[in-house]
Amino acid sequence: MAAGLRAVRRWGQVAAAPPSLAFTRSAFVVKKANNAQPNWLGVGLAFGTSAALWALLLKQHSEDVIEYERRKQARGHKCTEHKCS
Amino acid sequence: MAFLPDESRSLPPPPLLNKGSVWLGFAGWMSALMDNAFNQRPILGAGIHRQILFATLGCFVGYQLVKRAEYMHAKVDRELFEYIRHHPLDFQASTG
Repeated sequence: MAAGLRAVRRWGQVAAAPPSLAFTRSAFVVKKANNAQPNWLGVGLAFGTSAALWALLLKQHSEDVIEYERRKQARGHKCTEHKCS
Repeated sequence: MAFLPDESRSLPPPPLLNKGSVWLGFAGWMSALMDNAFNQRPILGAGIHRQILFATLGCFVGYQLVKRAEYMHAKVDRELFEYIRHHPLDFQASTG
């Protein structure tokens, strides 16, 4: 058994790269997070996505308001003909 | 059924900051703060981009959900008033 353990240790020293488990959070694989250096790609993506979402939300809201007013106008003409209860 | 059918656009759109969007935006911001706390970062000062992103996502999802909720309520109200209109005898004010 000791010989087997020595063999495993030898293999560990030769192939020192961590296993390629890309999506694992195992403590043997993950690197310690370095919060001192910003992940600029992540920061840029987050800000870009936020800006895009706000733009989409504001655009959709103004489109909703315009569409509602338009339909109210159309319905206003219809309702004066005593068709609505 | 679609999330927001076309006839939902006949309803007045809710204001941008309504109870749903504000609450879910706040919840998103809180989850960003909690993420800071769990990863032992300064709670308010760290990850501003994350806080903004989560709050924005919350506002966006909250706005869509409030629109759908208002549509469902309006639909039920319309069916209710149609039923009342079709059954006037059941809904007469009690005169006797």
